[in-house]
Amino acid sequence: MTIFFLRRAFYGLLVLAGVITVVFLLFNVLPGDPARMMLGQRADQASIDAINRDLGLDKPLSAQYIMYINDLMPLSLHEMQNENHYLYLDPAKYDYIKLFNISKSKVMVLKYPYLRRSYQSKRKVSEIIIETLPETAVLAFASIILAAFLGIIGGIITAIYKNTWVDHLSLFLASLGMSGPSFYIGVIISWVFGYMLSEYTGLNAIGSLYTIDDYGDGEYLDLKNLILPAVALGIRPLAVVIQLMRNSLLEVLSSDYIRTANAKGLRFRTVIFKHALKNALNPVVTALSGMFASLLAGALFVEIIFSWKGVGWELYNALVKYDLPVVMGGVLITSTAFVVINVLVDISYAILDPRVRIR
Amino acid sequence: MDNRKLLEIKNLVTEFRSEDDVVKAVNNISFTLNKGETIGVVGESGSGKSVTALSVMRLIPNPPGKITGGEIIFQSPSLGEIDLVGATENQMRSVRGNEIAMIFQEPMTSLNPVFTCGDQVMEALLLHQKLSKQEAKEKTIQLFKEVQLPRPEKIFDTYPHQISGGQKQRVMIAMAMSCNPSILVADEPTTALDVTVQKTILELMLQLQQTHNMGIMFITHDLGVIAELADKVIVMYKGKIVEQGPVLDIFTNPQHPYTKGLLACRPTLGKRLKWLPTVSDFLKENEDGSMQEINKSVDDVLSNLVVTANETAEKHNKLYKQEPLIKVENLKTYFPINKGMFGKAKEYVKAVDDVTFDVYPGETLGLVGESGCGKTTLGRTILKLVEPSSGQIFYKGRNITGLTPKEMREYRKDMQIIFQDPYSSLNPRITIGDAIMEPMQVHKILKNDKERKHKVIELLERVNMNESHFYRYPHEFSGGQRQRICIARSLAVNPQFIICDESVSALDVSVQAQVLNLLNELKQEFGFTYIFISHDLSVVKFMSDRMIVMNHGKIEEMGKSDEIYANPNTEYTKKLIGAIPKGELDDIKASIERKKIYRNRTANA
Repeated sequence: MTIFFLRRAFYGLLVLAGVITVVFLLFNVLPGDPARMMLGQRADQASIDAINRDLGLDKPLSAQYIMYINDLMPLSLHEMQNENHYLYLDPAKYDYIKLFNISKSKVMVLKYPYLRRSYQSKRKVSEIIIETLPETAVLAFASIILAAFLGIIGGIITAIYKNTWVDHLSLFLASLGMSGPSFYIGVIISWVFGYMLSEYTGLNAIGSLYTIDDYGDGEYLDLKNLILPAVALGIRPLAVVIQLMRNSLLEVLSSDYIRTANAKGLRFRTVIFKHALKNALNPVVTALSGMFASLLAGALFVEIIFSWKGVGWELYNALVKYDLPVVMGGVLITSTAFVVINVLVDISYAILDPRVRIR
Repeated sequence: MDNRKLLEIKNLVTEFRSEDDVVKAVNNISFTLNKGETIGVVGESGSGKSVTALSVMRLIPNPPGKITGGEIIFQSPSLGEIDLVGATENQMRSVRGNEIAMIFQEPMTSLNPVFTCGDQVMEALLLHQKLSKQEAKEKTIQLFKEVQLPRPEKIFDTYPHQISGGQKQRVMIAMAMSCNPSILVADEPTTALDVTVQKTILELMLQLQQTHNMGIMFITHDLGVIAELADKVIVMYKGKIVEQGPVLDIFTNPQHPYTKGLLACRPTLGKRLKWLPTVSDFLKENEDGSMQEINKSVDDVLSNLVVTANETAEKHNKLYKQEPLIKVENLKTYFPINKGMFGKAKEYVKAVDDVTFDVYPGETLGLVGESGCGKTTLGRTILKLVEPSSGQIFYKGRNITGLTPKEMREYRKDMQIIFQDPYSSLNPRITIGDAIMEPMQVHKILKNDKERKHKVIELLERVNMNESHFYRYPHEFSGGQRQRICIARSLAVNPQFIICDESVSALDVSVQAQVLNLLNELKQEFGFTYIFISHDLSVVKFMSDRMIVMNHGKIEEMGKSDEIYANPNTEYTKKLIGAIPKGELDDIKASIERKKIYRNRTANA
């Protein structure tokens, strides 16, 4: 089990390394001059050179790459004395603890990954992400819980009432939910429940997790703003999960060991919930986790519609303004989330199904 | 009333409905099962024997199945005399697993993979016997001991995938036995197991029956197994009982032509036959579907087919003077297991371990052994479907081990394989005609598709199918027909050498006989060389001139089939031969005697 875990984690790291490289190369081939973007049209050559030096853009690509990786690593090697060296330990950039000196000028430090600064707001990208990621995570988590909970229950019910009107109705609704894109459904939901019916529902058409209070001197947690975006985001996964759960359960129910369980004289309830469910959940867990990861990344449309201040919202704004460090940071964070979640899923597999543990 | 009576089935009818058709899977059958008695139910797939068993348990999948008539009178210890057809679901639940228990055919899939073996057995105990968890656990371990599982405490905590098929079936038996049922329904419990394992399981069941005085309903297609176990035999054919009676009567004096056919079509070990008789030697189906009996006795039919030792010797003399077609030298195929952190193998399974032999043109070389002995891997390695780890394979004098896939392709035409499972080795979305035509297109045999189609129809007719089957899909055919389609597909490229990998194992005995006969006819006609792989020694012996007994990847014994069977040299071969249920009269008499002794012993005790 430990070896299983370690191997999965190791593969996860390999994938991450690949992602970092691709992100780095991708944004290096994109056109645009960061210094010009930061300073505007009328900047003088000296300030542009200063910025280029600061960002390492005057160095060859390989040095930039090493610098980028070194920036991302929690454990990294830095130059202490030479301020012009591309690995110079700049207190303005890094938040670090010094570990030990390697040579006179080289030092090993433990630090937060440094994701550069926004070209626009000059804030650290990591700060922006730390601020927005929880909002997206809460939204994605709420939708996935909604989809999982209702989806699994709905799937079980439709499987039990196979080929009755309940089954047909849920199939119809599910295909409806699956075919509606989130930016369309989001707008409809926001308009109907947040605007037209807001007198009855008491919900807002737009809004974030935290709302600035009426006096403008503080923020408070506004959980009711979560409802509409979570539903808008969760409808698609819900539709998928219902169908998946139904089919998976039906397949399990026709298997030999369910016949054995019936031959033991077990109650219908026990057969369904003990013997069938655990086996049927496997594909559903995969789908859910994949969805969760993609929701983290793909909440973008829903976040824009509801003005939800999450990573997607930030990413959208950064893209519009060509704010490359923020885009790179956002992409990196979402792909990291993807990889981590997938490793966790593999492990949850091993817990659900003992046969997986062999390899 | 006879107080030994346990279960009485009267005029039972079970139907399966589809949208436009009603099939009577069980059509008006009646029989009685007494205490301490074993009834053997024999028949081919589709004869309704499993449906009978499931009807008794009321586990017929509904829809589409339904019991539509008759009674199943069960003398229940708790509910008294009850008609199971009309029983409520609650009553059925207290009967199932408790008073009537069932063992299924597939031990591999009949246990829930996500619970430990112990949990699954304990569940029945907790449900029916109202024991505490601790007591149930002790009882379960006790049961595991009773079914002779090794290290019962350890098995309690293992998951089904961690133990072998035989062990799984023992767990199933323990589960079935857990609540001391009055009736044990066993649906082909040993069909998926090796003969040596089958033997121990059968002995175990017999022993348990005597100590618990159960009634057993034993369903199988193998008459040999029935002979060892049953007191009474019921022969089912197309949903009806065609014959029933004491086991000795059925074997010595079968009345119904179908029973005769079943008895005759098993490959017998003692004699060498030209071909196997089939049910159609005794029973003819007329155009209008009615049956016409052909009045012949089993012995008459068999005696016409015996090949004398001289004929065999003459044939062998001719065969073994030739240059070998295939030479296999020191062949090894290892599979890595237990990979380390970086996927580097630490240990290997030696599936084929240093094997050397020759195959002569025109002979059939049998390859026999238990599951996991490496026979299938050996077959696939010879065709280079699996890369050998070391060693050489010569085909017509050319070393083919080092060939690239491209160079190998021209040899693929010469060397064909017929797989075990005719159900999964045909693509369900491709018509039969296209499936057979495909290898011809790949190897550019014949000029165009029109000629090829002509040839395909010829081939279909050769394997006793016809032109109209060309555009049909695999699911429209029975197992035997599919296997014939697979054979036709192998023939399409004019091969010289064919490996039959358990090609008849998934088929009923009577269908098996037809397919074996077909293979032999084709060999005569086209001069094929076969390697015939099977776990069934009697089939291998019938088919092959020489045979190789394999064990743990190594050759245990190699020689002329008749000689090996008559004088096995190694312990392993002796054990293998000894474990085959032969269904000879002497064996039946011996087993009846043995049961009598058992019975007296338990009566006195």
